[in-house]
Amino acid sequence: MRDDDIVNVDDIARELRRPVQVDRSFDERVMRHVLRLPRHARARLWSRLTAPRTITISPLGWGLAAASLMLFAALGVLHAKDDFHRAARPIAKALFPTSPKASPAQRVQFVLVAPDAKKVAVVGDFNGWDASHAAYQAQKRGGGVWSVTAPVPVGHHRYSFVVDDSLWVADPTAPRVVDTDYGLPNSAIVVEDNK
Amino acid sequence: MSARLRAFVALTLVVRAAGAQDPRLAQRLDKPTYVAVNAIVDSARVARLPTAPLVDKALEGAAKGSDGQKIVTAVHQLSIRMAISRRALGSNATGDEIKAAATALGAGMSERDLQRLRVAAGKRPVTMPLAVAIDLIGRDVPVATASSLVIQLARSSVKDSDLALFQRNVRADIDHGADPTVAATTRARGLVLRSGGSAPKPSE
Repeated sequence: MRDDDIVNVDDIARELRRPVQVDRSFDERVMRHVLRLPRHARARLWSRLTAPRTITISPLGWGLAAASLMLFAALGVLHAKDDFHRAARPIAKALFPTSPKASPAQRVQFVLVAPDAKKVAVVGDFNGWDASHAAYQAQKRGGGVWSVTAPVPVGHHRYSFVVDDSLWVADPTAPRVVDTDYGLPNSAIVVEDNK
Repeated sequence: MSARLRAFVALTLVVRAAGAQDPRLAQRLDKPTYVAVNAIVDSARVARLPTAPLVDKALEGAAKGSDGQKIVTAVHQLSIRMAISRRALGSNATGDEIKAAATALGAGMSERDLQRLRVAAGKRPVTMPLAVAIDLIGRDVPVATASSLVIQLARSSVKDSDLALFQRNVRADIDHGADPTVAATTRARGLVLRSGGSAPKPSE
């Protein structure tokens, strides 16, 4: 009885090991069916992006595209070079906080004696000539003295005081700037990097 | 719109973005002035001149309530003076030097004076000497005298801190009633002698 069982098992194993003959078109039929199934949106997008395709373009089209790319590259280089220092300073400050060049601004005290003034602001190249800039509003001290200590970037700047939003006053303690463009007085300041 | 046209428009917009202007100009200037100032700034950028002083000049005009034509004229004149300044000071001049030199040209200094100052200062920055010269001219020292004095001081390797002190002393002298030319010449002579050079003459 035991020998019969062994023979049966051997027969089954032999049958299972026998190569199965599959129809040669079977793979194609299966793949056709799979391709007809609805696909996920991401898969469709990826397929569209990665599938090779032929694009025809006229010589004029090529010329326009090439000219645009060259113009973009040229403007990009010029723009980057022009703004290099301004752009580099905050980057340097972020990357190298202890670097000597990471100090683009110094705190400068501006003082004006204006006993009758109700409001005094400092405007200049360093704040876009904006009289409403919060950091450059002077505070009234004793004896009609107005002062504010504010950050000014390293470099040469023109500036002025604006009293009561209407009167432009050059800083009497600073170098004057002869400026006939707009007919109102300016002062100059050269801020050096002390570090 | 065809795909090609869409691509071209996109490229053009990207190119436009690369030369983007300061948003403060759009906020503070009227449309025609904004367009004109932008054109000048773009030209300066192409000429590799610093553009920040031009933007500042336009913003200054807007803050001072000037009309658009005056602002455009001022910005245009400044761009011309900056180009002359770079030519006089050399291609290695910094933005601050070009800006200060342009202001000095506006005050009456000549391109030749800038060239002489560049030679006298060597590789040292000329921003402070120019600021002092502008101040002297603003205090009624004749342009020729002011230019000559700062060139002499630069030739004598006077430090920027001493130049600032010189400017304050001259201002104090004038405030106390001294003749501007005499005050400037006398103070400059003392500074040069102290630094070991030969005393400057007013009209040198």
